[in-house]
Amino acid sequence: MTDAPGKGALRRLTDWVNGEREPKDQTLFVMEKRRLSRPEPTETEHAQRERSRLHRFLRWYPAAAVLICLVLSGALLCAVLALPAFGDDDAPIHNEVAEHYLEYTREETGAANAVTGMILTYRGFDTLGESCVLFLAVSCVMLLLRREDRGADDREEQKLLQEDAIARERPDRILQSVARILTPFLLLFALYVLLGGENSPGGGFSGGTILGCGLILYAAAFGHDAISRWFSQRVYAAVRTFGLLLYAGLYGYYIFLGANGLPCAFRLSLAIDLAVGLVVACTVYGFFSLFQRGEI
Amino acid sequence: MQNFLHAVLNNRFAVAAVLLFGIGFLNMLLQQNLVKKVVGFNIMDSAVFLLLASLGYIEGGVAPIVGEAGYNPLYINPIPSGLVLTGIVVSVSITAFSLALIQRIYRRYGTVVLSELLEAAGREED
Repeated sequence: MTDAPGKGALRRLTDWVNGEREPKDQTLFVMEKRRLSRPEPTETEHAQRERSRLHRFLRWYPAAAVLICLVLSGALLCAVLALPAFGDDDAPIHNEVAEHYLEYTREETGAANAVTGMILTYRGFDTLGESCVLFLAVSCVMLLLRREDRGADDREEQKLLQEDAIARERPDRILQSVARILTPFLLLFALYVLLGGENSPGGGFSGGTILGCGLILYAAAFGHDAISRWFSQRVYAAVRTFGLLLYAGLYGYYIFLGANGLPCAFRLSLAIDLAVGLVVACTVYGFFSLFQRGEI
Repeated sequence: MQNFLHAVLNNRFAVAAVLLFGIGFLNMLLQQNLVKKVVGFNIMDSAVFLLLASLGYIEGGVAPIVGEAGYNPLYINPIPSGLVLTGIVVSVSITAFSLALIQRIYRRYGTVVLSELLEAAGREED
């Protein structure tokens, strides 16, 4: 009899662990009673309460924002003032890793530009991730902005058709002449920056951006129809995917070979530069086209 | 006071980066217009890039394009330059994505001002 409560508690516990019996729960009843004791707020009361809550929040929000910003800036300022002086060559950031890159980039990767050589070979996974980020960004923007099927969004469609008709009737002579002269040079310059990125300032990202700007200029001057004749959605998707896959394949091959230089006949950083350039150019042009018309 | 001024002068780019960061952050928190919030976000990004780029500089260093001369002239540190590149890519992607979202919001509600948006969303709930 004396150990009955203990035994009961133990059994209750084992029952509960085994899930055979729910422990008696009083909270449901309690909540039921409490809600009954207080009248349910009506719809308008509820809305008013919400609104006043929002107003109170908005009244304090600016002050709190300024306070948070000041505190954060102050903390950052304190941290920054403790940094080594600007331009100090003894700063801990200039360690043997940077020295190694500067000393061996030329012979290990074949690139004179240490930054290009570094981001394409030593830190190639980082750059591969960047390419993936750009790829995904275009995909997300496409998901958000592409007009699904023609005719569904009638007003947008009508507006675009109207704008196209105006552009056909009264073409912008200045823009077209400038674009006709400038586009070949832009593409040439893009190619130069892309392929010369090994030995001079430049590389895949800057060259790709210039390439994309050339495409944008062409599309803006001659209309979407002119460019989609040879750079349609299928071609766009193919080029974009090809760039990323080329990069992944080449870099995988490079890692497979031991990540320390390739046979000299084959310039890895040049090929990877080209792949990155394709991805970046497609990204830049895709943003323009999607934001302007909702299609590639 | 003199010490403080000396420290600020020694790290002038980092201090400018912190100020820019604060401006951008406050802009992002206080602006009611969503597009201006994105602009504030971009100012914050620029602050981070400025800090990173200034960290890699070495007094008297030249761009790290290693020519035939080898390791003879003093080069700046190439690592922060590479990191800035990563940051720029992410910043561009996020900017494009948020602008696309804002365009969708505008199509749905006809406004990009936060207070009007809250009202419109509340009305829609009713």
